[in-house]
Amino acid sequence: MAAEAVLSARQRWQARAVRRLRPFGFLFGPVGVLLALFVAPLVLLLIMSFRYDSLYITKTGFTLANFAGIFTNPAYRTVARDTLMMATTAMLLQLAIAFPLAYFIAFKARRWELPVLLLLVLVDELNPIVRIYAWRMLLGRDGLINSALQWVGLTSRPVLWLLFSKFSVILVLSMSWVNYTTLPMYAAMKAINPIVFETATDLGAGWFTRWRRILLPLAAPGIFVAILLVYVPMFTDFATPALVGGPSSYMLGNQVADLMLEIGDWGTGAALSLLMLAATAVISVAAYFLSRLNQLD
Amino acid sequence: MTPAATKGAITLERVTKRFGNLVAVNDVTLDIPGGEFFSLLGPSGCGKTTILRMIAGFEEPTAGRILLEGSDVSFVSPAKRNVNMVFQAYGLFPHMTVNDNVAFGLKIKHVSRTEVGGRVGEALRTVRMEELGGRRPAQLSGGQQQRVALARALVNRPAALLLDEPLGALDLKLRKEMQLELKRIHARTSTTFVYVTHDQEEALTMSQRIAVVKDGVVQQVATPRELYERPVNAFVAGFIGTSNLIVMRPDVRENGLAIMNLPDGDHICAPDTLAQGAEMKIMVRPERMRVWGEAEDERTSRVHGTIVEVVYLGSMTQLTIDLATGERVTIHELNDDLKGALPVIGEPVLVKWAADHSFVIDDGTTVNVALDESLPA
Repeated sequence: MAAEAVLSARQRWQARAVRRLRPFGFLFGPVGVLLALFVAPLVLLLIMSFRYDSLYITKTGFTLANFAGIFTNPAYRTVARDTLMMATTAMLLQLAIAFPLAYFIAFKARRWELPVLLLLVLVDELNPIVRIYAWRMLLGRDGLINSALQWVGLTSRPVLWLLFSKFSVILVLSMSWVNYTTLPMYAAMKAINPIVFETATDLGAGWFTRWRRILLPLAAPGIFVAILLVYVPMFTDFATPALVGGPSSYMLGNQVADLMLEIGDWGTGAALSLLMLAATAVISVAAYFLSRLNQLD
Repeated sequence: MTPAATKGAITLERVTKRFGNLVAVNDVTLDIPGGEFFSLLGPSGCGKTTILRMIAGFEEPTAGRILLEGSDVSFVSPAKRNVNMVFQAYGLFPHMTVNDNVAFGLKIKHVSRTEVGGRVGEALRTVRMEELGGRRPAQLSGGQQQRVALARALVNRPAALLLDEPLGALDLKLRKEMQLELKRIHARTSTTFVYVTHDQEEALTMSQRIAVVKDGVVQQVATPRELYERPVNAFVAGFIGTSNLIVMRPDVRENGLAIMNLPDGDHICAPDTLAQGAEMKIMVRPERMRVWGEAEDERTSRVHGTIVEVVYLGSMTQLTIDLATGERVTIHELNDDLKGALPVIGEPVLVKWAADHSFVIDDGTTVNVALDESLPA
């Protein structure tokens, strides 16, 4: 009788857990889908990277040879270095454009603020592939820029490095996802009370000091969020180099695509994917924590 | 009028400011000697803040000149003027500590590290915030933030300190404390203070001289006592303190008095300085009208009235009385003259005041009278 009435500690704990989780019961569906469609493929990738998996070679057993191959082969190092250079350059270029744009919208636009914001969002709604093709028309041998240059008389022959080069990839990358860079910086700037600029001026600050000591530190969280959102797509992109890039602008994204689809070396492809995932995860986490620096207290 | 070139002296010469079709400041001339505590007083939207911002450099005059210590600074940027402003919303830098906020102006001037530390400490001690140097603005109360803003301006030892309604966001008790502290700080430094407020009591408490502004025009510039006792027009009389407005039609003019005779032996006397006709408006301060005990002579006005309201305020009693002439007046009587019970509503009384304690005004024109010349200038 007593044994039936008194629950064991373990049973009490279980009952409490169930009670706590019950409100979240509706999440089991979505979480389940998430697990299936997102996490499972990652796990598959993980497994693949440790096996010799390809169309031609199937070996059972786990090995580190895929990873070893990546680290020893100098070709991979070149591609990685190029990718890093191009993505970082594109990121810095985009920040240099988006920061003044965000400043303009946040402080100078007045009644144009909403229309400009809408325009910004709309422009990025365009299909990215279509946009990249538009770049081809602009930069190509018979494209708009070359035609204009020749018509004005600045060159007698078309400038060839405008397309299918490192230049074109960096240029197109820096012009993509401008939304995601501008909006976080705009949001951070809107949170600034504009009166601090007046007080800084009153205390003797010129425009450079106002920019460096007031605007930049207060907008910094926005900058880091922008990096967080945009650097990863830039780093891992393969559509842009595929469509406007040439042999000199081969990026890691293309490498993985080739390994998986052309060469058939799934093991190495998976291993490279995971390494890219790890690198971008490190960058993202760093950017996230840097964006919260101002909220230390 | 030669501009004073003394340290901290500010002069506005016929300054006008237009925003499109709106004339915010209309032909204003002010002479503020160095070291004075000077207030700009007026209702919201009268242009006093615009005047202050022009002195600071955030607005440029449409016409006229602004002189600081004798030199024309009308179009000099605020960063280069040797004046500092305490803003209504403080404007503290949220990402810096109190110490860094206060040191900001000094660092821009490349003051040495050791001197910065010393001066920041001194400024914080002046505003009694020396313990909280390491805090961020978000961790401070409104009153503390206000004091940091003050220290941040004072640490630069400006020729003049401009304050734009800095006490507006504080509760009453704190505001009164800060008024006295500002007065104390002003006495310690030789800085000119230019203070903008819409609160006449605040201006009277702290200022050595006050400019009353209405619709962009300066109505009167005078010491607090002069403004109270010799207002130049109805607006100033009504804005500073309270006063009672009485209309009279003089029947007789003799001995420098205009006299209106009323039934029951009542009469109103007022100094006769308006050389015009049928109607005069006079204003009398509440404490100058008496209902209990006042000797009469030929220069005393007397009118019968009925008490409408009695408010006992501790040190004085406030009575609202309907006069036989039709006006409703407010009277302050000190309670040490009170003998016996308080008056009651409905009680008939005789209201008396000395003719010399009334001032004749005409709405808008600058005619003033108060023959009491024993007042110091």
